[in-house]
Amino acid sequence: LANFFELKSSDFLFKFLVIGNAGTGKSCLLHQFIEKKFKDDSNHTIGVEFGSKIINVGGKYVKLQIWDTAGQERFRSVTRSYYRGAAGALLVYDITSRETYNALTNWLTDARMLASQNIVIILCGNKKDLDADREVTFLEASRFAQENELMFLETSALTGENVEEAFVQCARKILNKIESGELDPERMGSGIQYGDAALRQLRSPRRAQAQSAQECGC
Amino acid sequence: SLIKPGSKPPTTPVKLKKVSTFQEFESNTSDAWDLGDDDDELLAIAAENLNTEVVMETAHKVIQNHSKQQEKHKFQEEHLQEEKQVESAELTSIPCGDNRLVKSVSEGHTSSSSDNASENYSMQRSQSLPQTSTPSFVSGIADHNTSITPALSEREASRLDKFKQLLAGPNTDLEELRKLSWSGIPKPVRPIAWKLLSGYLPANVDRRESTLKRKRKEYFAFVEQYYDSRNDENHQDTYRQIHIDIPRMSPEVLRLQPKVTEIFERILFIWAIRHPASGYVQGINDLVTPFFVVFICEYIEEEEVENFDVSSLPEEVLQNIEADSYWCMSKLLDGIQDNYTFAQPGIQKKVKMLEELVSRIDEQVHRHLDQHEVKYLQFAFRWMNNLLMREVPLHCTIRLWDTYQSEPEGFSHFHLYVCAAFLVRWRKEILEEKDFQ
Repeated sequence: LANFFELKSSDFLFKFLVIGNAGTGKSCLLHQFIEKKFKDDSNHTIGVEFGSKIINVGGKYVKLQIWDTAGQERFRSVTRSYYRGAAGALLVYDITSRETYNALTNWLTDARMLASQNIVIILCGNKKDLDADREVTFLEASRFAQENELMFLETSALTGENVEEAFVQCARKILNKIESGELDPERMGSGIQYGDAALRQLRSPRRAQAQSAQECGC
Repeated sequence: SLIKPGSKPPTTPVKLKKVSTFQEFESNTSDAWDLGDDDDELLAIAAENLNTEVVMETAHKVIQNHSKQQEKHKFQEEHLQEEKQVESAELTSIPCGDNRLVKSVSEGHTSSSSDNASENYSMQRSQSLPQTSTPSFVSGIADHNTSITPALSEREASRLDKFKQLLAGPNTDLEELRKLSWSGIPKPVRPIAWKLLSGYLPANVDRRESTLKRKRKEYFAFVEQYYDSRNDENHQDTYRQIHIDIPRMSPEVLRLQPKVTEIFERILFIWAIRHPASGYVQGINDLVTPFFVVFICEYIEEEEVENFDVSSLPEEVLQNIEADSYWCMSKLLDGIQDNYTFAQPGIQKKVKMLEELVSRIDEQVHRHLDQHEVKYLQFAFRWMNNLLMREVPLHCTIRLWDTYQSEPEGFSHFHLYVCAAFLVRWRKEILEEKDFQ
């Protein structure tokens, strides 16, 4: 089935970031999302690594281009340069490490300042499977998410719980924003592009949009 | 910083007049590294394919250029050596009246293992862009050894002899050692050669043992002095980072041995707190591995290599390996410290230089990347930060470091050319790739 989607052309391309402290499981989340399995020999990420996957969100095919960034502070000056034009982000902390949770505000500031203004962020409390070692409660993180207008899920890259959901929910929200007109894919740096399906249909995105507007009119 | 003020963007030493002919030549010599070639053989191959005059002219230019650089480097090195002593980015001043650096290996070991030494120096070429996931730390080295005839070829034997003569002293000619090492160091003499090339071990044979003793003692004095502070408030971030990185380093064979992870943690922690300008940066941990593996191979039988239990070695031997790895890694890092200081200026600069270089030697690849909005920083950052160790198998890194250590500024300047060669090597695949999304 995954292969089927790979072959499918997409309606949109979204640039996604995965950010958060070192060792919170960012690369493992990405690997679980793309490969549907846990990567147990995951070396730490240097700079940035990439992954992409086409998902179906409410009948639309969306290609996610995911930028998995290094978590260590020293790489921050480099990873920051990758933020520009991201439409969505997974902001990851580790539920068994308060330190990674305390760092969220900094990450959030960076993301809002450097990525697109309307970036849609989902907070992921990862390592949900290690509940016995939990240092951050669901309730606490959930409040933080609310206060900062973030979506929120607790995830497990190990078991796969909520991993796909995190990416899909984030993508769905972006699509909703596009449909409601809150997000304009044609604005520079929106982190959104029309996919090859849309482009093939009509050469220019502008005309594609014009056409869909007409259809609605009917 | 030890980067010399005069260092300029690299310029290709030779102007290539007929690119197509050169490419032909290049493809005919793609196996050049398979057997640790001597220059004369390469020239012979070249002569068959290229106009001899051009070849000789080119060769002379290269040689002249190279020896000029060597001269210049030698001079700079002497000065640098003194400067280093003074400004050595270390916290405390180390009382050492001796200006040279130390070091190592008991020759008994090196010579005893020479009989079963068989190694070729092929840089294996992966079919696709390589992902390093070597399951065993020396699997490469092992494969490698078993895949070759057990007897040393005459040529290998004579190379080994040359090394042994050179290393026997009374004073090892370092210039000669660099020349010889450039095209690969035979495994039995690699540990001692690396210690000499890195400047850890003195050229004078009589001073080696005492230097080793002193430096090892010095390292363990640091451990005693600092290691207990790893959980103190001002150091705990450093230690925590190291502590979460080591269990996920490669290769697996090492990472799964608690004895090994302890050693790596100590080496990295001590280095980090003695170099506060950079501290520990992810990727530095990878740089310990080649030293550790090369030094440990001195004590391992060939056939043990795959499943070797490090804790079976005597404590004293392990301590020596640990201290030697620390000092040699420090030497390496001295030359590339600005890769790891705030904002990583060394890497930024090198990535720009790589871009510039590629735009000149392979405009097509350069344009292709540009057209697809692939930024050099996106792929080459890691090549610089981890010296390609995530891109090539460990045994290739070890072979590559033979050359890096025999080049002036091998880990910074020469590394650029290797990165460029890496891109050009996969130019076909790169040019065929239309989707970088």
